[in-house]
Amino acid sequence: MATVALQEIDNTVEDPRQRATLILGEPGTSLHEVSEAICGVAEARHPPKPWYAALGIAMLALGLLGLMIVYLFFTGIGVWNLNRPVAWAFDITNFVFWVGIGHAGTLISAILFLFRQKWRTSINRFAEAMTIFAVMCAGLFPAIHLGRPWFFYWMIPYPNQMGMWPGFLSPLLWDMFAVGTYFTVSLLFWYMGMVPDLATFRDRATGRFRYYIYGVLSLGWRGSQRHWHVYEKAYLLLAALATPLVLSVHSVVSFDFAVAQLPGWHSIVFPPYFVAGAIFSGFAMVVTLAIPAREMFGLKNFITLRHLDNMAKVILVTSLMVAYAYATEFFMAWYSASQWEQFHFLNRLFGPMWWAGWTMLICNAVVPQVLWFKKARQNVWILFTVCILVNVGMWFERFVIIVIGLHRDFLPSSWGSYYPSYVEVVTFIGSFGLFLTLFLLFCRYLPIVAMAEVKGILPHGHGSNEPGQGHDAAVPQTDEIGTSDKGAVGSVADSAPVASRDVDSFAVARPTPPAPKLWGLLAEYDSSDALLKAAEKVRDAGYKRWDCFSPFPVHGLDRAMGIRATILPWMVLAAGLVGAAVAVILQWYTNSPQTVSAQAGALSGYPMIFSGKPFWSLPANIPIVFELTVLFAALMTFFGLWALIRLPRLHFPAFASRRFRRVTDDRFFLLVQANDEKYHSKPTRNLLAGTNCVVVEDVFDE
Amino acid sequence: MDAPRLWTFPKWTNLAGVGLLLGLLTVPVYLGLLLAYGANATTLNVGYQPKQPVPYSHAVHVGKLGMDCRYCHTTVEQTGFAALPSTDICMNCHKTILPDSARMALVQQSYVEGTPIPWKKVHLMADYVYFNHSAHVNVGVGCIECHGPVEQMETVYMAKPLNMAWCLECHRDPKPYLRPRDQVTNMNWTPQGADNPRARADLGKKLEENYHVRASTDCVTCHR
Repeated sequence: MATVALQEIDNTVEDPRQRATLILGEPGTSLHEVSEAICGVAEARHPPKPWYAALGIAMLALGLLGLMIVYLFFTGIGVWNLNRPVAWAFDITNFVFWVGIGHAGTLISAILFLFRQKWRTSINRFAEAMTIFAVMCAGLFPAIHLGRPWFFYWMIPYPNQMGMWPGFLSPLLWDMFAVGTYFTVSLLFWYMGMVPDLATFRDRATGRFRYYIYGVLSLGWRGSQRHWHVYEKAYLLLAALATPLVLSVHSVVSFDFAVAQLPGWHSIVFPPYFVAGAIFSGFAMVVTLAIPAREMFGLKNFITLRHLDNMAKVILVTSLMVAYAYATEFFMAWYSASQWEQFHFLNRLFGPMWWAGWTMLICNAVVPQVLWFKKARQNVWILFTVCILVNVGMWFERFVIIVIGLHRDFLPSSWGSYYPSYVEVVTFIGSFGLFLTLFLLFCRYLPIVAMAEVKGILPHGHGSNEPGQGHDAAVPQTDEIGTSDKGAVGSVADSAPVASRDVDSFAVARPTPPAPKLWGLLAEYDSSDALLKAAEKVRDAGYKRWDCFSPFPVHGLDRAMGIRATILPWMVLAAGLVGAAVAVILQWYTNSPQTVSAQAGALSGYPMIFSGKPFWSLPANIPIVFELTVLFAALMTFFGLWALIRLPRLHFPAFASRRFRRVTDDRFFLLVQANDEKYHSKPTRNLLAGTNCVVVEDVFDE
Repeated sequence: MDAPRLWTFPKWTNLAGVGLLLGLLTVPVYLGLLLAYGANATTLNVGYQPKQPVPYSHAVHVGKLGMDCRYCHTTVEQTGFAALPSTDICMNCHKTILPDSARMALVQQSYVEGTPIPWKKVHLMADYVYFNHSAHVNVGVGCIECHGPVEQMETVYMAKPLNMAWCLECHRDPKPYLRPRDQVTNMNWTPQGADNPRARADLGKKLEENYHVRASTDCVTCHR
């Protein structure tokens, strides 16, 4: 791993005269150092020792989780202390807790992306990973708390010989759709964002297996501008689709409670209250993970104090929202003059489970107030402690809502009590094992920071390599090729002091005549500006079959190349409309009265009454319509992207060039194909040679 | 220089994308086949015809001789379960008719030893389904509606799928399946003016009212 000298830059100072740098140290100034630092985590021969220790503990907990689930399945749901009236307790508490944590990732990747919050680039990748693993833990609990979990697929609408359809008007089914859609979209988002970074892993691979594994995972990504163009649009579309989704998931989870009539549950404040709580707990978990991770993997230059400071501010704001929601609940209980509501809220604080109520209140509303102080926000120990307490508090919030809500109902005759069995406690601890095992494996084997995105926000990234141009913070270049050696002519090697790994590739890359057919001419640039100007020249010369390649999307290059806008948004719109139509027709057909179904035989619907709603009740049908719209649109975005750029193509002639391996690292390339109508050996070569390139090299097809 | 070897993917791997696409196409095909299989009558056991220990022929007894169902299945009007006849009922006639036939050997043995004949159950409902014969027979649902043309069966087989969707067909709208109570066991009953759908509909409506048929589709009707 690169040892990065910490520069004495304090990027937490707010100075309106200049923007604070987001990435510190050498990575903050050199594209290559970003790759070095991030890939170093995965390329190190051995991960750091704490990693082994953490993985050991996590896998132990995971094993316990497995044992508990096996025991549960073989013995029955009675091994949990659930009974009337507390029929939901640890299981649903854990579900809501994990889903809540799963909110931060997509919030960071989607909402902050739309708001152009560039500091998100350092943390979005592992926050997204955290989201996916948290949602997996969340999905586990409703699945295992089904009496017969092997029939979980009955919740999916499909024509069946029972003539049954899921109850589309039930909040529990909305939940299934919301969490399922959220998981799918988060996964697509995560993977799509990772592809360029996986390509960096591939191109840096020295061993065969690394190359092939990361090569397959990166689908043959080559940083082509024609690909970046569609890719950026797809990323934006997914962010736009995920944004309402983030807000919807916990709203729908809150409907599980708010739609019921129980005192303390039946409240209109629940959806915003739950969403704020989810973001609150999600950010707390991100910080909880980020602080040890930046320590363990040497990422302090990427996840800087400024990042922690920003996240602490989000935690503070959402803490205030949650505190406000608590106040609203207590106020409404008093103001409603409903004795059951009033009793419920008194019971929270002074009933038999008073300790749960106070833990929730203190951890969520009082403790985070220390984050008003900058010293607390920037002291990792204080911040870490606050975040752990927030995690505890948010778990207790769900416990309070569910268990205290259930154990004192309207009728004193149906009151009961609840305490967890050891199986429930160990299952909960075990879910942390699942979460941490996946997270630790992710840290070791996948790009933990979005390199391509970080490169895009470096001051370096937009300007040229020339010192002093574009930004002031530039330190002497670490690139092997000096800036004074630009403008090499023709395919003749320039006199630049080429790095040792390139010298030998030179010989390889320029074989003698009996070689196979010439496929194209590849020009290398050491800055995006040079590439931009070259692209304009090649475009004006009227070439058709050519392309630019860069480690991150270079702004303005689309126009410089004359790329036409992609049709992807229209495809996504169409898919979204189809999804909405499918959802409307499905719900109308399956739940509407039997006028339709009588003729349809086995495929007929099964109208059922939920919460006294009419069979066809548009407001109650909206959640499913929304989820399917987003799901269809997101799937179209993802698969449409790969279809439009025709990507899983692992072979590309330029991959044979050793220089081209740096296209996912810190170099920029322009390639003119030999089968272009305008291509003529000499003029084309001269055109490229006259574009301020480092070198022009021949690319051959096998 | 010992630069690390430059790995690349061979050219044919570009076809992998096409392969992947074809692979994805198999998913809807698979799902389609799965549904077709699931809805297939054979999957639902239609035509299930186990070999019975005694070669008893409904075709002879019901079709040719015209015996009433209730002569053997005695409890069908009173209880949920339509009893299988005891050997005594067989012997009411077979004491004198063909008593020594080889086909009767097992029945004779059962009669002498007092052990039941190990009939194989053909219409086996799942344990989580509550079905009551008397509730159906007494409101005019003919035997033939569920058991098919038993009077033509040499060996009894399952004529209808007996799956939930099939039950629901009638429970949602029982009118077309109702007949006068005294015609329940009549395998050859046809409503008057059978070719007049209107008359059939009127009859169904009348019977539903007269017999107070409340074919519920509540879960608890069948799953108790």
